[in-house]
This record gives sequence, structure tokens and C-alpha cells, in this order.
Amino acid sequence: MEIDCIVIGAGHAGCEAALALSKLGKSVLLTCLNLDSIAFLACNPSIGGTAKGHLVCEIDALGGAMGINADETAVQIRMLNEGKGPAVHSLRAQVDKIKYHSRMKYILEMDKNIFIKQAEVGEILVENAQVCGVKTTLGETFMCKSVIVCTGVYLKSRIIIGEFSQNIGPNGFASANNLTKSLLDLGIKIRRFKTGTPARINGRTINFSKLVKQGGNDGLSFSPMSNNSNKNTMFCFETYTNQKTHEIIRKNLNRAPMFSGEIKGVGPRYCPSIEDKIVRFPERERHQIFLEPEAMGTNEIYVQGVSTSLPVDVQKELYASISGLEEAQIMRNAYAIEYDCIDSQQLTLTLESKNISGLFFAGQINGTSGYEEAAAQGLIAGINASLKIDKKEPLILKRNQAYIGVLIDDLITKGTNEPYRMMTSRAEYRLLLRQDNADQRLTEIGRKIGLVDDERWEKYLLKIGVLNKIRNKLEILLKVDKKLKNFLESNNENIPSNSIKALDLLKRNNIDIYKIQDEYKLFEDNETQYLNIINTEIKYDGYIKQQNDEIKKMKEYDNFPLSEKLDYSEIKGLRIEAQQKLNKIKPINIAQASRISGVSPADITVLMIYLKGKK
Amino acid sequence: MMQKKGKGKMNETICAIATQLGNSAINIIRISGNKSKEIAEKFFTSKNLNFNFIEPRKMYYGTFKYQEINESCLMVYFKSPYSYTGEDVVEFQIHGGEFLAKRILQIISCFCQLATPGEFSKRAFFNGKITLSQAEGIIDLINAESEEELKSAYNLSTGAFNKNIFEIQNTLKNILAQIEVALDYPEHDEELITVIKSKKELIKIEKNLNELLANSSSGEKLKNGVNIAIIGSPNVGKSSLLNAILGRDRAIVSSIAGTTRDTVNETIIYKGVKFNFTDTAGIREISDEIERQGIEKAKEEIKLADLILFVIDSSRALTKDEEKMLNELNAGKTIMVYNKKDISIVKGINENAIEISSLYRENINELLEKIYEKSIKEKIDTTKIVLTNLRHINILKEAVTILKDTVENINNLTLDVLAFKIKQIWSELGKITGETENEQIIDEIFSKFCLGK
Repeated sequence: MEIDCIVIGAGHAGCEAALALSKLGKSVLLTCLNLDSIAFLACNPSIGGTAKGHLVCEIDALGGAMGINADETAVQIRMLNEGKGPAVHSLRAQVDKIKYHSRMKYILEMDKNIFIKQAEVGEILVENAQVCGVKTTLGETFMCKSVIVCTGVYLKSRIIIGEFSQNIGPNGFASANNLTKSLLDLGIKIRRFKTGTPARINGRTINFSKLVKQGGNDGLSFSPMSNNSNKNTMFCFETYTNQKTHEIIRKNLNRAPMFSGEIKGVGPRYCPSIEDKIVRFPERERHQIFLEPEAMGTNEIYVQGVSTSLPVDVQKELYASISGLEEAQIMRNAYAIEYDCIDSQQLTLTLESKNISGLFFAGQINGTSGYEEAAAQGLIAGINASLKIDKKEPLILKRNQAYIGVLIDDLITKGTNEPYRMMTSRAEYRLLLRQDNADQRLTEIGRKIGLVDDERWEKYLLKIGVLNKIRNKLEILLKVDKKLKNFLESNNENIPSNSIKALDLLKRNNIDIYKIQDEYKLFEDNETQYLNIINTEIKYDGYIKQQNDEIKKMKEYDNFPLSEKLDYSEIKGLRIEAQQKLNKIKPINIAQASRISGVSPADITVLMIYLKGKK
Repeated sequence: MMQKKGKGKMNETICAIATQLGNSAINIIRISGNKSKEIAEKFFTSKNLNFNFIEPRKMYYGTFKYQEINESCLMVYFKSPYSYTGEDVVEFQIHGGEFLAKRILQIISCFCQLATPGEFSKRAFFNGKITLSQAEGIIDLINAESEEELKSAYNLSTGAFNKNIFEIQNTLKNILAQIEVALDYPEHDEELITVIKSKKELIKIEKNLNELLANSSSGEKLKNGVNIAIIGSPNVGKSSLLNAILGRDRAIVSSIAGTTRDTVNETIIYKGVKFNFTDTAGIREISDEIERQGIEKAKEEIKLADLILFVIDSSRALTKDEEKMLNELNAGKTIMVYNKKDISIVKGINENAIEISSLYRENINELLEKIYEKSIKEKIDTTKIVLTNLRHINILKEAVTILKDTVENINNLTLDVLAFKIKQIWSELGKITGETENEQIIDEIFSKFCLGK
């Protein structure tokens, strides 16, 4: 029997891809070098954070798996940025990395459409520029309609600790040493990136009494579909590096592979090693460190902020210089890791190769960093591989629809020269793309595609019903009576001459929906849980309108599709730089073309005139 | 942010001067888009015109009125799709002169967008009004124009201007980067900018931009020239003075009073600055109908002029009319020109006056020097940055509007909204410097702050 899709790699991208394909009725072969590394959290034991929390909520709203898996295995969950405006409220969960892995593995195992196999794919089979199967290093061949490559950091990976280096993957797992050649043979351009992870320390040897404890908040979750009601069972701790730490690092810089030239891959600005921080910011007296528990039932502690590739003797000395870690025993050493990945600009916005039909790429192989970024791509690649098999229109989320849209558009249209991390500041429509409306933005799309099951859909419709009820209730006219006067006076607001809608009161600076509720008791118990959503919606109304105006202007450009067959060097009047960039990226429409750096407004006009003339 | 490149503006109403600016007798100002009629209605009145029943493709004679402008002109309305662009179009045919045309455009552009180079033609093309080959001609035009803009970016005054805007953008970028760090790295422990501190910075920027805008009118002078009206009683030698300045006979000169019935415009370049002279009809109380119109016109020129040459026949005493006129003039922008120096009876003149003879071309260079001193040296500090580009002026105005609103409401803004506002200002200014890429802010974040796990 021919398989619909083969997913190479069962990390965060691979899991989402396989589950999405299965939900859409496709048969999937999911391969992994070692089944013990399925959904493995190779770096910090946490999911979410700023912008990443948004991604998780979006994945969940579309019907993906990451949100529920994080909720169900969380040992602590917090809302970040609570004081800074609802657009940047971000969930972050500490998860039990062992449970996170085993729960995801079990879900995959129970799925009738997914066949999990421990294997190393050594070759991708292509016929007439159409993918048709894979061959494992053990010599087995599997035929299929499409392939999604989700190899993470495993391609030709090499870890480096001081003078020592070894060709293995993260955490001692094997690396995949054959697939790079197959990709090169297919004409795919390969690059080398670098990242790193800190040491894991035995909690028994940490003096927690000196450190500041950090707990979670109750009642939070990424997904409305999760059941875990007690997510706050473990704590994190705060500590700092100091001058002594910095001296140790400076003294040993000549032994740091980053500076000795031993590491050649491009490292991210987003998670610099501690030696990188000391060199780039010499004036800082200390750097913050968070100690995060790896899982229940283990004493291992992840030391966030001290990733390094310094030799083990220096590691020992430098960790011991940190307050609370004086006696700390390092259980697993910190290391840097180099790996092969591809230039994401070789892909289309569906994450399919521009040259080989049916060959998709998702996750860290596309040059991103982070579990959430990987999962988001896996989901989109899985959806699009399925839609392609069904000969349906692809799913391309726009920059104003989702962080996922921003992520993929950045990768394809702008490209990246270092491991790409999602940030809220990358989203120009940040005020629109909130966690609290992720479902309103995406669940209908997920339902239409077929990822959102009945249970989630009914829950969603129920919520929309309640939201509309709240909106309607705010239309109520409030008379200018003693009650209103007192209410407004006590909030330093002017008293209107005529009756006023509750909705308009809400637009005042010193009034919010909770104050209205306290005063007028407009809303029932089942409605109060959603008041914050409506409050934000109305408070942001003016800005949202401005952003919508901009979106409307861009929309006109969405309606000018560009054929991938178009040869831009033949268009008279386009500047040469623009011709080259356009030929490389092959944008799908004028809107995407206008976002390419090096393509000027004058070029866009020329392009539009050319298109119109063609018709 | 948001100011992405090549943003679609096809539905916005746009305006521009449709004629080549120079010494043409008339200029046409064109408005295109569905708001054009509505905009025209704000300024134009005509006896037999009711805008609700306006007839397309008919010329209306009337007045364009706004503040100091009171221009008799013609207006035509073209209804979509029967117009050059295929949209609703209004055209004003106004009297010649760069200053008047630009002033009227400035007024109109408060209610719509200034057209970019080739935009009317672009719309014409997309609405099927012109052919591809015609449109290809426009491509060259667009490229040529942007080339021109590029070149002008390197010229001295705009170079300094760009630098100034760049600095402001950098300050904004720095504030923004700090806010972004606070938003994207909540656990970051370095001290970041506070709302109070950013308010102070924003107020400083607002002041800076307002100064730039205040200098914009002097910049106009440098670029478009100084407008000088030559006025005086009939037959005191206004036209022969203009001829003397030009060194040739241009205006009709005769000794019959009231020869110059309309205004005559001439431009000379002195010390690198353009001086636009307008020779007006002699102003006096008695006159026939045509002459009366000339006089009305002259009075308007006085209002528009940067400098007035009040010509007096020094062979006789001041008439009552002249004394009355003198009282009405703004002494700060008037030079008294005593003509007929050879037969003068005037004794002792002040520093705002000069004796000349236009007949014998005496003291003409001295007069020019006086004009230069009074209009340029005293009025424009050339070391200061001057703004000459109407597009730039509008961008700065927009930036100031957002700034003002932001500063006023800053205490009620959450940090995410404050970032949105500052980004809007930054992007607006980016239309001048070309720096609009979001990546530049992210670079700023990572070059200034130590971030990441």
C-alpha cells in the first residue's frame, strides 16, 4: 500500500505534521532515529513565552497538539507581561519533559493512521521532480505521495565542549549523517547553524534557600480542551552571575570554541552563550539566571542563561561561582551544537520545495530555533501536504491573521541568516494578533480544513455565543441618574448630558468592563470569564481600525497573483536588484513582492503595469 | 511599521499640479478620486453653481477662497469614468506663478494625498484609459523621477535635512527598542525606558519637528524664489523699473497712465536666488472696468508677495492716494524706490529706501543688493535646515499629529499601544529616509541589549 505522506523526524514539527495529516484522513509513516526522542525537549523544559505563547495558542486554535500536550504535562504555568497590555500577554508553561515526551508518543501510537518507525532515512526518492518515496539506511524503501523533512538539529550534527567535539546529536542521541547528501543531490542548498544548551545540575546540591522562588498563576491554559486543573506543582528559582563568573570566563576565552574558530556555524543572537554575553556586553555586572525543574521524579535542574561550550573544567568552576550553585554537581555538561539546515527561501509559503513537488520542510531545518516555531511549521506543512494530495487550495495564513503567518512569511520572503526566533515585535499587526482571540482568528479555518473536531467546535460556538451576548448587553443605554453620576465622578470622568451606552463608557480611559460590572451587574456568571476579551476588543477598537485600514490597502495587492513561471529579468523597467530578488523568491502575489527587501515601490508599479498589460 | 513599501493607494483621492511649473500664464491643479468633488466644494464658489447639480465637463468661473487666497479661476468637473484617470476628477485653472499654484495645492492636500510621480497616469492605465505603450513611457518617467529624488537626497540642504530626520528616527528607534525589550523579554533585568522618560523624549522630538516645519516657508523661498510685487501710482515708472532690472523691454512701457492692466511676471536669478517680480497695474481710485480688475489683482499680489517695491516719482511730492497706500503696507517687507533720481526733489532717505533712475539704469544693482539683503540675508538663516519639499512637509505634519496625540494620552496607553504609536511615527519619517524595515528595529534591540536564555 502506498503511504500518503512520510514524515522524517518526530520532534515538535514532525509530531504536529503527522497528527494533522492523520486527522485529515491521510496515512502517515513517521520515522525517528530513536523513538525515545519523540517530542523531546532538548533544551529548556518549558513551552510558550512571549510570541511563542501566541504560536501555541494559534496551533491549538487550528486543532494542533502542542497546547494540550503542554497543558496536560505542565508543572507550572504563568502569564507573562500582565502589566503591559493585552496584546503581549503571553503564557509560559514549565512542563515535565519526560511526561511531555511520553504523552505525545502515546497519542501518536494510538493513532490508527500513523505508523511509527525507528529508522534513519538516508535518501529521498524523486522522479520527474515529484517526490515518490524514501530509503532508510537499513535498505528499506517506502513509496509515498509526499515527504515532510523535520530533521531538527540532527543533520550531520556535532557537539562541541571546549577542545572536545563529537559527531552526535543532542543529549547523546545519534545524528543523521546520510540525508544531507541526498538533499544536496536534489539541488537543495544547505547551510550550517549553531545553537547550544546549558548544564543540568543535581537539585540536591543546590542551595535553594539563598534564591528567590517563582511560582505560577492558577486557572490558566493554552487550550480550552485540556483537563489538567492543577498545573502549579513545581517552582523555578532566580539567581545571577557575578564578577567572579565573568572573570573565569574572560580568563578562559581562548579555550572557547566560539572564539578559537572551532565553531563555524552561525549562532543566534536570540540565545547567546554566556561567553558571548560577556564579550558583547562587557559593561554588565551580572546576568540573570533561572533554575527550571526538568521533570517530576528527577532532581535535574536546567540552568537557563548559562549555555556554554567552554571546556568541562571551566564549566565546573564557572557554575560553582554562581550564588546557590557553590556545591552544585553538574549531571550533564553544557554544549554547543552545529547542524545542517536549508535556506528557507528555497520554499514556497506552503513550505513545499519550489523545485520538487511534494517535498515539504518544517521546523529547525528551515533555520528557526524553538519548539513552538517548529510545531507551527509542522502543522502548516502537514495541512498543506494533505491539501495537495486532495488537490485543494493550500493554506497560507497572512501576516494579519496569525503569528504563524508572520513566521512563515519572514522565512520565505525575507529569509534568515541565523536561527530565527519568533518575537512579538516582528508582527506589525501585533494589536490584532492576541492570545485571547487566537480562536476567533483561526478556529473557523481549522474547522473548514477538517482539523477541528466536533467537541472543540461546539465549545467554540458556545464561547462565540457568550461573547456576542456580552457585546449586545453593552449596547444598553444608561440614564444620567444619581448612580451614573456617582460612578463617573468617583472615576474622575465627565458626566454626559444625555443617556450613554455602556459601550461608550467603556471607551473612557478610567473605566473598564469590570468597573461597569461591579456597578451595574450586567453580566451573568458564565459571561464573566470572557469579559477581559471584550474589554480589550473595545479598548483597542481605534487602533484595530487603523490596523484594519492598513490591511485593506494591502489586500488590493493580494489580488494581483504572480506566476512562479514569470521570468522577472524580462520585464522592462525593473531594476536589476529587483529582478534578481524576485527571481529568487518567486512571490505568489504583489503583496508578497512588496515585502521583499530591495524591491522598491517604483518596482512594484512597474510590475503592476506589466501584469495589467499581459491580461 | 507599518509603513510598508508600495502600499496601495488606488482608492485614495490624490492631487497635484498638472502643468509644468514655470512661467506659464495658467496652471492646472488636478484632483482625482471619489472625494474630489467634495474637496472642491470646500473652497470654490461660483454664482451659478450648485455642487449637487454640477454639470460634468463644463467650465465654471468662480473664486477659490481660503485664508489669504482669493483667486478668480475656472473649475471643471469630470465624472467617472469620463476623465483622464477614469475616476472623478476636478481641475482648477488658476493664474500663473509657482507660488500661487503651490499654495493652493498645499491647501487642497490637507484633504487628500499628494500624488506620487506618474500616479495620475498609473490610474489612467489601470482604469483602461491609456494603452500599454503609453504606460511604458510612464515607467521611464517614474524611474527618472525617483532617480531625481535620489540625487536631490545628496544635495546640501536636503542632505542635512535627511540627517536630521535620521537622528530623530534613531532616537525613536532607541525608545522603541527599549519598549520592545520590555515586551518581548519580560524577565529582562536591565533598567529600561519608562513612560515618563519616553514622554520627555517625544516632546523634544515634537519640538524639533515643529522647528523644521517653521523653517519650511523660508525653504520655499530658496527653492521657488522670492516673490516681489512692484506697486505704485500710475505712471511712476514701475514697468520701466522692471525693464531696467531685466535689462530689456518686456512690459509695455508708455507714459499714458494705466498701461499695465494685468500683472506681468518676470524672474531673474541674483546671487543664486530666484526673484520673481510682478509688475502690477498702477493703483488709483478712478479707473475703467478692465483697469479696476487689474487693480484688484495688484492688491492680491501685495498680499501674496514676500517683498514689495513701492515705486514713487521723486520729482514730485507724495499724492494722497500714495500716502493712503503707504499706511496700508507692511513696512517690514517694503522697499521705497524713489525713481527719477535725476530730477529728484527728495532730500534724505532712510535705510528702507533707495534712489534710482530706471531711465538711465542708475543704482539698479544697488537696488538688487537691497532686495537680496532684505529678503534673504535678514530673513533666512542659511545655516539652518530649510524644508522645500511639499511631500516632506506633509509627512512631518502627519508625524507631529501622531506625536501630539501620543504625548497627550501617554499616561493612559499600555506599553503595546505606545509601541504601536511610536512605530507609526518612526515609519512616517521613514518615508523620507527610506528606513522602514522592521528588521532595523530588531537589529537595534539585539545590538543594545543582552537578551536570551
